[in-house]
Order: sequence, then C-alpha cells, then structure tokens
Amino acid sequence: MTFYAPFCLPFILGAALMFLIVAWKWGKWLWLLPHEDKMRILRGLPTRRTVAAIGEVVSESLLHRRIFRVNPLLGYMHMSLAFGWFLLILTGWIETVAHIGFRYVPLQGHVFFKYFATGLEHKPVFDFLMDLFLLFVLSGVALAWGKRFYSRAMGMHRTTKHVLGDRIALSALWFIFPARLLAESTTCALYGGGSFLTGSLGGWMAEHIGVMPLMTLESVAWWFYSSCLGLFFVALPFSRYMHIFTEIPLIFLRRYGVRSSEKESSYDRFQVEACSRCGICIDPCQLQSVLGINDVQSVYFLRDRRYGHLRLQVADNCLMCGRCVERCPVNIDLNTLRLNSRDRMRNVPDERRYGYFKGLDRSSGEGKVGYFAGCMTLLTPRTLTAMSTIFEAAGEEVWWADREGGVCCGRPLKLAGETDSARKMMKYNADLFRKHGITTLVTSCPICLKVFREDYDLPGVEVLHHSEYILRLIRAGRLTPERGTTRFTYHDPCELGRGSGIYDEPRAVIEAVGQLLEPASTRENALCCGSSVANTAISDGQQVQIARAVAGELEATGADVIVTACPLCKKAIGRGTKGEVRDLAEIVAGALK
Amino acid sequence: MKKRIIVIGGGVAGMQTALRLAEQGVEPVIVEKEPELGGKLRGWHVLFPSFTPAEEVLTALRRRVNESGIEVLTSAEVVGLEPRSVRLADGRELHGDSVVVATGFTLFDASIKEEYGYGIYDNVLTSADLERMFNEGRVARADGTAPRRIAFLHCVGSRDEKVCQQHCSKVCCITGVKQAMEMKKLFPEADVFNFYMDIRMFGPGYEEMYREAQQKYNIHFVRGRISEAAPTIDGRVQIKAEDTLTGRPLRMSVDMLVLLIGMRANDDNARLAEGAGLNRASSGFMAPRDLFLGNVCSNVGGIFYAGAVTAPKSIGETLNEATAAADAAAKYAEA
Repeated sequence: MTFYAPFCLPFILGAALMFLIVAWKWGKWLWLLPHEDKMRILRGLPTRRTVAAIGEVVSESLLHRRIFRVNPLLGYMHMSLAFGWFLLILTGWIETVAHIGFRYVPLQGHVFFKYFATGLEHKPVFDFLMDLFLLFVLSGVALAWGKRFYSRAMGMHRTTKHVLGDRIALSALWFIFPARLLAESTTCALYGGGSFLTGSLGGWMAEHIGVMPLMTLESVAWWFYSSCLGLFFVALPFSRYMHIFTEIPLIFLRRYGVRSSEKESSYDRFQVEACSRCGICIDPCQLQSVLGINDVQSVYFLRDRRYGHLRLQVADNCLMCGRCVERCPVNIDLNTLRLNSRDRMRNVPDERRYGYFKGLDRSSGEGKVGYFAGCMTLLTPRTLTAMSTIFEAAGEEVWWADREGGVCCGRPLKLAGETDSARKMMKYNADLFRKHGITTLVTSCPICLKVFREDYDLPGVEVLHHSEYILRLIRAGRLTPERGTTRFTYHDPCELGRGSGIYDEPRAVIEAVGQLLEPASTRENALCCGSSVANTAISDGQQVQIARAVAGELEATGADVIVTACPLCKKAIGRGTKGEVRDLAEIVAGALK
Repeated sequence: MKKRIIVIGGGVAGMQTALRLAEQGVEPVIVEKEPELGGKLRGWHVLFPSFTPAEEVLTALRRRVNESGIEVLTSAEVVGLEPRSVRLADGRELHGDSVVVATGFTLFDASIKEEYGYGIYDNVLTSADLERMFNEGRVARADGTAPRRIAFLHCVGSRDEKVCQQHCSKVCCITGVKQAMEMKKLFPEADVFNFYMDIRMFGPGYEEMYREAQQKYNIHFVRGRISEAAPTIDGRVQIKAEDTLTGRPLRMSVDMLVLLIGMRANDDNARLAEGAGLNRASSGFMAPRDLFLGNVCSNVGGIFYAGAVTAPKSIGETLNEATAAADAAAKYAEA
C-alpha cells in the first residue's frame, strides 16, 4: 500500500517547512536563554513540575479552560478548534494502526487516510468517531464565522483588527475543515463508508452526481484540502497561529521558573509568539472603552514587537493597570514585556543627573519602624498628617524615611523604561534603610510598595503598605477608631490590588470605621484611576476623562465618601468628582477618639 | 420709550457697562447675586501698578451708579438668559432689549493643590487672603509674629494641566510683584522670594515695577515652581523647588507661603451657555464671537460680554471693554 498521491505535495511541503521553521525558532530561543534559565530548565525537568506542565498544556492548549471563564461560548469555540483537531489527529492515528498495525506510515498517510484506505474493510466505529470530531471542529468554525459578524454573543465588544498575513492564515484555517468534509464525502460517494456526516453526504452525492464528475470532484477536493493545509502550515510560523505550538514550551518554561525581567531576554520570544491575538485584552482596556484609543492594547503591542515595528508611542501608551493581564488566557506577563520594551527603547542613564545624591542624607531618628510616605503622599499632605496622627496614637516611634534623605523609590523611572537610573535610586534608598537598621518599612504609596517588595534587597526588613500596618494596629488594640455611620466606597489601586494582591486589608480597615459599599468593578476587576505613572502618552485631559468614568462608578454606589489607599489614585479621582475623596489613613485618623 | 438693557453682574464690568448705557440714554438694570455691588474688587487692597486703593475705584463707580439712578437688583442670581430676558433663581423674569453678561470669574480654590498645604498647615495663604489682611491692617503669621522670610508662588491654578487650567490668568504675575513690594514695605527686614515659571509683565509700567522690585526692594526671583510644602516642627513651612536656571533642587523654610491663585471660569457658565446656545472656550470661559471685531459680542445676537467672563483681564482692560460692550448692546437695542 503506497501512501502517496500528487495532491499530497502542498501538504508535505507546507508541513515540512513549518516543522523546520518552528524547530529553528525554538532552538534559537532556547539556545539564547541566559545560563541560569537553562539551569532552571534542567533542574526542573525531572520534577513534578513537568507533570504539572503537561496537565496545564491539556487544560489550556487543548481545552482552553481560561477562555471559558471569559465566556462559555468563546471557550467552546476555541476548544472545538484545538481539542477537536487534536482528537481528529489522534483518532486518525489510532485508526491507521487499527487497520494496518504498527508500521511506518508517512505523515500524509495518516492525514489523508480516508483517501488511501478505500480498499480496506470499513470500521464503522472509527467512521463514526471521525465524523463526530469533524462535526465538533466544524461547529467551532461556524462559531468563528459568526463571531466575525456578531462578537457580542461571545462576550466581546471589540475584536482584534488583523494584519494581512493573519487574514490569509485565518482564511486557510476556515477552509481546511469544510474542504476535508467535501473531500472525504466524495471519496465515500465513490467507495462507500463514512458515517452520519461524510457517509450521508457521500450517499447524497452518489445519488445526484454521475461517476465521472464525482471522480473529478474527488481529485479537486483533495487537492483543495491539501492546499489549504499546506498554505496554513506555511503561514503558521509567521502568523498568530504560531501560538498553537509556542504556548506548549511556554507552559513548561514557566513551570520551571523562567520569567521575563526588566531587560529583554529570548524567553520573551516564547511569550510574544504565544499570543494568539484573541483580543480578549481589548475590552477591559480603559484607554479603549473611555478614550477610544484602539491600537495600543496588549494584542497590538505584542504584534508590533513580534514583527519588529514597535514604536515608543505604542509601548508608552499603557496604564499598566493589569486589567488585561487578569484576563489573558495564555497568562502572558504583559506588563513586564512592555517594561522591557521601554527599557530597550529608552534606557540611557545620565551619569551626571544623580550627583545630587551626595550630601542629601541628613537623616536622623532611631525608630525601628521606617515610614516612607512616597513622593505622591508628600504631594497629598492630608494623608501625611493622618499618618502622623496614627503613629502618635499608636505610640509608634517612627523614622521618617523620605523626609530627610530618601529619594524617589525608582518605580516611576522603571516604568518609563529608565531602568538603570531607577536602579541608582533603589540602591541609594536601600543603603539608607540599612544604615538606619529598621525592621519594618511602612509606605502609603502602592507604587513604592511594589518596588520595595520586588526590586529592593532588604533582608530582615518587613515591607508593609499602610493599609496592612493600620489593620495590624487595630487588631493589636493599639488603635481604636470609632465606628460611625458614614458609608464609604473603596477604589482598589492597581498597584495595590492586582499589583500586590492586597484587597482585604483596606476593606477590613474601612469596615472598622464605617460601612463599605462595593462599586460595580471591584477587586481583580477594579478600574484604573487613569493617572498611572506608567502612562506618559495620554494627556491630562484624557486622564481626567478616565477619572470621571471611574468616579462615576464609585458615586453610583451612593457612598458619602470615596476611599482609596493610593495618593495618586486619590488625586486622580479627585479630578473626576466634586465629591469627597479620602485616603484610608485620613478616615482612620478622623475616627480616632 | 427708553430701551432697557439687562446687565448681569455688578462688579467693575457690570457697573461700568451700566454707567455707559445710562450715558447713551438707555435704561440699564444691574442684576447682582451678592447683597451689594462691587464684585471681586471688594476684597482687594491696592491696585497694580500704581498702588491706587481699590476702594477709591469702587467708591467712585458705586457713587456714579447711585447718582445716575440706575436700577440695581441685589441678591438676585441669574439661572438662565435669552437675548431679551433673564430668569432669576427666585422665579422672577426680567425683560429687556438686550443682555450684557458681566459675570466675571471664580478664584481658583488653592486647596485643590493639596501639595501646598493650603487649609492644612498654618501660614500658607492665598493672594486674596493677603489682600484681606492688608485691608484689615493685620499682616502676621498664625502665631501673631512678623514673618522674616516670605515666599510667593506664581501660577497656582494657572497654566497647570494637572488641575485642568491650561490658561494664563494674566494678572497674577504683576500681583505677585505688587504684593511682594507691599510685604517688603511692611517688613523691611524680611527676605521675599518669588517662585515663577515665567514673569509676564505685559502692561504699561509693569516691567519697570518688576525691575524696581528687584533693584530697590531686593526681592528675589527664582525660576522654578515649588513642588511641595511641608510643615516644620517650629511652625514654619518648608518648601522644595528646583531653580531651573542653575538646574539645582533647593529646599528652604519660610514663615509664610503666599499662593498667587489664578482666575478660572465660573461653574455656572456651562449652564448659562447651554440654555442660551452660547459658545464657550475650552478653558470654560465664554467665547466671544471673534477676537477682533466682535470681541464684546457673543455668537447669539443680543447677548454681549464685558470683562473677565470671557478671559482673565485687569481692571483697566475690564473698564474699557465694558464701555465697548455697552455701546454694542445699545446699538443692538436701538436697531
């Protein structure tokens, strides 16, 4: 039995090219990984992490569990295409083995088995299963067509605007399965076999079409099917469909502890090319929903970066609020990738700029608790005086870390991509903290908090946000605020909530002072205030527009006072409302007897 | 029968408009929301660049309004207008042959710039507070002592995108120079600093005054906005700024920080404009029909503008414009 026919040629060439390119890409990226990442992989291989990675590959690359959480119909669409196709391939392979046992069959033999197997006896179970899975995939293709026309049915208000290459690959993909249905049905029409789908359609064809036209049709259909496959495979490594294969090594590498950092590395390539451009990141983006900016979202950022035409205007235009990160079905570390793109494009440290560090340190004080207000807190002194009241009430001896000596925490510079300059500030502050021998570092600014926790090397120093610190004081009985009848609503700052996972502490503090009302978008889904230091591209007017939208949602709770736990959010939301906006510390200080 | 023209606002612009209308043989009626005429000028001490007492100008205007027998409605707030009528908050409706809007401006609320600590720390005051202190004859720190070092900060609520006030308020530069000189006269031993981004001396005699402030009064001008203010243990105010001419950050403690607050558009401009179909500039001020030949006209026939309702203006400019607006409104009514 030979497994070759001329129509196989497009498929064979396409598949060969695809495997070569994918292997070359992966090989290069792996080869270029930093040494420590390679060691991580080697050490991780023989552990349970590998098993966990396999599990994740099944649940994400095949079943698309995370997309089901966004919208069940959308999840089904992705699953039917990926898992359905996988089942077709797997069952097809088993079918081959069942027919001719374990012997070498070239790839096209498996893929076009129905064409070559006309002389063999029929196995109705396989016929049925293959038809069932084909129907499964076709239902996904139908939904994908439907999504083009009415994406809202799948919970998406906006979908990705695709580039030409993607459109070609997409069209090829859409034709693959109808073409397969047609090809297999014509073969069934001529030679019998098939089940409820190909068998029935084949039977109908046999009745209505003569043998000679049918034979021509069969040849054309298989050629078409093979050509669609070939075209799709050639386009795959260069289009969004590269994600099909790339997500798999990404899952493994991630499980082994490989991460992107503030400097670009070849691991980033796995992340960038694992993006399927599904566009789920577009809807949560407030730049899109409030300002109508629709070419900077993560999907477009990754696309531009992948094809090497990323502009600073796109890289800069992101609040880094993390709302899209929460939704990304591939769990791509979108913010870090954006950071290291900015680093590549902007990191030009100015050595002379930091001469003023010398002689800046005029710090004194003995407190074991250091309080780093943060630049934005220094610009919102109501919070500062409230903290002072709280420290006094709790009898805490405090060293005011950024009043006489401390400099900016460095995160705004880091977010702008000036990584090396940021490191200078971080080192200066870390040295200062060590010099004072503090054991606890409290900050009122979630932006500082995140950088202290993630980038500062502070062994023996516990870093706390003031919401955590105040809650501790209350629970330890060192602070006894009076619970009043005021109704508060709480705005989750991005850097505190999604950024540092602190959701419950501020809420517990508010409930110790009054009643808490939750806005419509809250916790992981909370909106960004719009004035994020991470975005240097939008204007003040645009920031205010976002602030108004956010304030509107907070006011809709009917609360008397909007509370937040970030000085930047407080200032930002204040620009969007005439109502009262307070920091957590202010309402606590106000409730102290 | 005499034509009747409604003048909304009884400040400098409104009074001058009404006086000119009366002079032209038209019957004006002034509608003022406060209990008395005078507008913002009531709180002012002396006027730049001549140090003329504000009271002198006010008294003269009020006396002439009185003598001309002009009808004045006080404590009457306008909630809507049309070319031939205005509606008041109490439900009354006034009718006339045209309307001049002379509703002026609103002072920027300095507490919005929380970083300067206005309303939070002692010894942080606004230029308007300082004028009131001059009038009361008691200029001192919160503890009653005399200030030895005073800082003025220009452009608070002007040219500041962060508070959505992009425009220049025009008069604060020269006001800062004037007040600095007054402080120096009161406290000759004190060091007086002006922190600015640009000093815009646009009027006659202003530049000379600026020079005099430096040469004769030894007032220091530092190019750089103050970034933040914080209280010190001894009740002073510590300010941080950057001297952008030397490129150095600087920090100093002062006994008094004066914020030169800007002029912003009235909140109810939006409502009035919407009701009458009037155009507003992006700054929120009313937009004249054009900036040259129709600068006292609105885009709606029969509605005219006088004074700071269209943009920040000095007293002198406002008086001129009021005359022009009155003439245009009278001509419209007669036609």
